[in-house]
Amino acid sequence: MMATNLSVLQIQVVEEEVPMSLAELCQACGAERTLVLQLVEHGVIEPQGDAPPSWVFAGASLQRTRIALRLLRDLELNLPGAALAVDLLEQIARLQRELGAARSGAAVG
Amino acid sequence: MQFKDYYQTLGVARDASADDIKHAYRRLARKHHPDLNKEPGAEARFKEIGEAYEVLKDAEKRAAYDDVGKRWQPGAEQPPPGWDAGYEFRGGEAEFDPQAHSDFFEALFGRGRSQARARTPPRAQDHHAKVMIDLLDAYRGARRSLRLQMPSFDAQGRVSLQERTLDVAIPAGVREGQHLRLAGQGMPGFDGGPAGDLYLEIAFAPHPLYRVDGRDVTLKLALAPWQAALGASVDVPLPDGSVQLSVPAGSAQGRKLRLKGKGIPGKTPGDLFVVLHIAMPPPPDGAQRRAWEELARLHAAFDPRDQKGAT
Repeated sequence: MMATNLSVLQIQVVEEEVPMSLAELCQACGAERTLVLQLVEHGVIEPQGDAPPSWVFAGASLQRTRIALRLLRDLELNLPGAALAVDLLEQIARLQRELGAARSGAAVG
Repeated sequence: MQFKDYYQTLGVARDASADDIKHAYRRLARKHHPDLNKEPGAEARFKEIGEAYEVLKDAEKRAAYDDVGKRWQPGAEQPPPGWDAGYEFRGGEAEFDPQAHSDFFEALFGRGRSQARARTPPRAQDHHAKVMIDLLDAYRGARRSLRLQMPSFDAQGRVSLQERTLDVAIPAGVREGQHLRLAGQGMPGFDGGPAGDLYLEIAFAPHPLYRVDGRDVTLKLALAPWQAALGASVDVPLPDGSVQLSVPAGSAQGRKLRLKGKGIPGKTPGDLFVVLHIAMPPPPDGAQRRAWEELARLHAAFDPRDQKGAT
């Protein structure tokens, strides 16, 4: 095994600064274009713009797309099932945050 | 090397039908999938299940595995002679993940023979990794040295793992679940093609005091009953410093006070919420008890079950 050291200069926070094109989203997720188009069709991700060439995806689409792709691959779900699961997972995450807020954390003072 | 009992992993009999195997896999995969199950250990278990299924769902691989299993001596350290010879497999265009398979699997089926590389991709694959930071790092920004293992391909298309260290400056204001994109730091390019990007997903280490929700941070602050009743000026520890908070008189348990802009910084910084918690002193006696009794006498009209009386 070889080791190399590199310093990184250019860093972007995807969710804040990086609206992605269809091609970039496919590349970032390692997904076929047709599959990403199907995810759009099933409402897993919602681009801005009229037609695929001018579509712009918000950075948060990256996370939803990756989860959907993992579920499709690992659980052999179909697209409506994966779309539903992604929505439900987001709801669960939100409810868990609210539950965490309602429950007591550690005390101070 | 340990023999892996893939049938046991999936909880099926050795003569299970392809359908039984599929059902068992789907049930276990749903239970242990790391997107669905956040318990520690779920991901490792899921990988075992996935590996078992990858072999047993494929008639060719299953036959090869069964063949090896028959000749394997219980307790033997060494696989039977010739066990990895002559099996040739198609397919397997799974994403390259150096940790995806056990040594047992790789010895039997090889390590991700990369047919996928045959059609020269326009650009190399992007690479994803997770990085754990502390809440304070999100306030101040941080530098992290990351050690990443990545496959590299030599002229003959052989794969070797290369370790590299990246110095990454994590910008202040980053939030849990966000991704950092490091252009050109993904998989190396092929035939002079551009390299992929590296994506780092941010996770926060759990903190004993603070709870984080997006940009907002919540802290529970304990007060003595008289501080809540009379109001108080309390020193509140922030992730990045501290602040004097004045608690208004007559504050009830659970009251939420907002420190605007003291959450995770950014273009629109988050807020820090202080949730009041009233702590009771030990059961009083002597003069303390008489003081509480006097308090009760002076509040004879207060009905705690009357909603109008509660604040």
